[in-house]
Amino acid sequence: MPMGDRCAFRVVALAVAIALGGCDRDSRGPRYRGAGNATPRSGGTLTCSTSVAVPTLDPAIAYDEVGVMVVANLYETLLDYDAAVPGDPTSGTRLVPGLAERWTVSADGRSYRFELRAGARYADGRAIVAGDLAYALRRVLKMPDSPYGRLLSGITGAGAFAAGERDDVPGLEIADERTFVVHLDAADAAFAYAMAMPFSAPLREDFVVASGGDLRRTVLASGPLRLDRWDEGQRLVLARNPHYWDPARPFLDGVTVLENLPENTAFLLFEAGRLDLLDHVAAPDWIWLSEQAAWRPFLDTRAQMSVFGSRMNVTVPPFDDARVRRALNLAVNRDHIVKLLAGRAVPAHGMLPPGLAGRAELPPYPHDPAGARVLLAEAGYPDGFAVDYVTVPNDDANKLAQSLQADLAAVGVRMSIRVLSWPAFLDTVGRKDGAPFSMTSWIMDYPHAASFFDPRFHSRAIGDASSSNDSFYAVPEVDRLLDDARGAPDPAAAVALYQQVDRRLHDDAPWIWGYHAVMTEAMQPYVKGFAPHPVWVRDFRDVWLDLDGRGRRVPR
Amino acid sequence: MIAFVLRRLVWSLAAIVLVVSATFAMVVAIPADPARALVGAHADAETLGRARAHYCLDRSLPEQYGCYVGRLAHGDLGESYRTRRPVADILWARAWPTVQLALAALVLQLAIGLPLGAWSAVRRGRWPDRVGGVITLVGASVPTFVLGTLAVYVLAFGAGWFPVAGYGEGLAGRLHHLLLPALTLACAGIATYVRVARAELIEQLAADHVRTARAKGVAEMSVVFRHAGRNAVAPLVAVAGVDLGVLFGGAVVTQTVFAWPGLGRETLLAVLDLDLPLILGVTLLAAVAVVIVNLVADLVVTRLDPRTDPRFDGS
Repeated sequence: MPMGDRCAFRVVALAVAIALGGCDRDSRGPRYRGAGNATPRSGGTLTCSTSVAVPTLDPAIAYDEVGVMVVANLYETLLDYDAAVPGDPTSGTRLVPGLAERWTVSADGRSYRFELRAGARYADGRAIVAGDLAYALRRVLKMPDSPYGRLLSGITGAGAFAAGERDDVPGLEIADERTFVVHLDAADAAFAYAMAMPFSAPLREDFVVASGGDLRRTVLASGPLRLDRWDEGQRLVLARNPHYWDPARPFLDGVTVLENLPENTAFLLFEAGRLDLLDHVAAPDWIWLSEQAAWRPFLDTRAQMSVFGSRMNVTVPPFDDARVRRALNLAVNRDHIVKLLAGRAVPAHGMLPPGLAGRAELPPYPHDPAGARVLLAEAGYPDGFAVDYVTVPNDDANKLAQSLQADLAAVGVRMSIRVLSWPAFLDTVGRKDGAPFSMTSWIMDYPHAASFFDPRFHSRAIGDASSSNDSFYAVPEVDRLLDDARGAPDPAAAVALYQQVDRRLHDDAPWIWGYHAVMTEAMQPYVKGFAPHPVWVRDFRDVWLDLDGRGRRVPR
Repeated sequence: MIAFVLRRLVWSLAAIVLVVSATFAMVVAIPADPARALVGAHADAETLGRARAHYCLDRSLPEQYGCYVGRLAHGDLGESYRTRRPVADILWARAWPTVQLALAALVLQLAIGLPLGAWSAVRRGRWPDRVGGVITLVGASVPTFVLGTLAVYVLAFGAGWFPVAGYGEGLAGRLHHLLLPALTLACAGIATYVRVARAELIEQLAADHVRTARAKGVAEMSVVFRHAGRNAVAPLVAVAGVDLGVLFGGAVVTQTVFAWPGLGRETLLAVLDLDLPLILGVTLLAAVAVVIVNLVADLVVTRLDPRTDPRFDGS
């Protein structure tokens, strides 16, 4: 090789070595530590990210996980869910006062009376009054594309108002400036939970009118944070709401949410100390973090209010035979599923996730291929059968479909996998003559058993198309139990009824119960007071940064 | 020339109408309900019905198409189903970063690819040619998501020479953030330009007029760049025209890896969610951009090589 050539190659080799050397750090633990403050300290801005863009800030429209997470920190509702506490699976699902300092339910369970806190204000300093709550609910009912109108359909007169048949909603009563009463057509114990969802947050009519009715980017904040700036698709900057009803909260000066950051890139930024929180950690990164002693104390997990599995159309063969459905539940190796998801899941044997009231102690379906073969033979399928399985284009869904395919092959069921886009998938599984066997999942609207059972297993949720009860499971006894539980004035009685439903569904097995997803969150050592919230995912009210006296992070 | 341009514009308009109509037909042919994208997977039949009625999704397909074309004629591209944001706003916000990235990638492709191709041609069979060959092979065979991820890990996270992701603020910040994604996006194209420039130049260097120039004692630099190079430019401009269209529309992976706020990722999500107004808006913009770029490229080629002028009669 001539001299010039050698020189050129050496320069390239040196550059690569320098660059790679930068990656080979002696320690890849946290770069910063907490300053050692014993009590919460105010100040500082927390930076986190999402792998998608925030679609909208309109509380009546925001429906996806990221949108709800942001909106829940901007808008305060009458009621709220308690703070998440590490190690307590029921925390985060109980109702606590929000803007309403107290609420009562009438003896017949049909009227809810909310009393607003004195001094509750919007971020612009103006008072929040009962009329604003009625206006916000009427707005949701009038919006043709709000996903939340259905949660208000039980309010007296709501249906006629939404259909344009009348101009008022008699079920929304403004008793006085600080007292708001909602009247329902029938007793509904789950209604209070809907009043903790951001779509029910108060809105001032003059503000909405001045915004041209468009609250996508215009926010009338009543929550702990207000909107400071939004470079759509890039970053959302939230700042402390100085008029928040709780003067001690939030501790943070602000929160910056970086949008559209891929998981791998977010992980690198987190390691470099440029992100304070990291969620949805990819499987290899989660395994790596879990193995690092320096990172382990700063990882947290929490079962999401969700359930994943495979749903079967119970009205068509071979799934119309409960023995077949039970056999498939026995064929599945749930430990394998948990391993495939790198521990970010807990096995499911029924519908309700851990920590939710109404969940019964269910006997687990063991991985028992021999038992499955016996049941299949009893049902008339000694050699199994061939079936199509529909799933969605998602890494985890694909992995799980292949795992299921292998598990079912072991009991003689020959499964072909078909991948459809999400809208096409929903279309086919929602029709009785559509795909009879598919992946399925459900994430609650609010943390109440009714939010899981009613849309998926009540016969009311069956339609000609777009059935949310896409197993087409119609059992009068289950319908009755669900209706009784909704109307039960005593919460303990309702829980007992829901437990009966949980047991019945476990035995009838309209789904192959798969797993409950587990949220994973890694945080920098100086982030305090944070735990993944089962409903809000990230609730910034109690979060504080353990910084030094000058508000700087302390290097490790 | 004016007649040529007008004729091209008429055909271009027809092409754009065809592209948009075909896209509309393909999206609505998918057996899926776009109303689901509007009101979510939990929606009941009543909610879906109201959303369908509000967005004209309950009408016949010709009516829906007529509705879209009618609004388009008034400059209204509609609202994204997923975000409720006006499509025109999305395109406006995302088009400039997309153009920046595409132009930066093209400039890098030309700035690196052309000299390397020329060097490979002049030093054919020697080490510069081999280096060019290796770059061509690597650039053409390594997928962008691998190259992008490696670039982020080694150059941004490891060496700290570049920001890991994002758009940056201010001119210096923007350029700093732009360089790595542009370089990643340019890599495959650099290989193309090395190959095309090398092949064209080798062909031209063997041409009679080049041999004559050399025989007359013209300096080698002048032979390569004035006599051979000039004739090799026309095919390169044609390639650049097509390439720019691809760069405008095909940078999904690069934009995703570097969290670059371009149209690519937005388009991908729109397709996955069957967000019809946004899909049609992006298609329309891409079609217009490709048509304009190709028209300009054709005009430049005609200028550089009179034989490609439609009025050229061979004399």
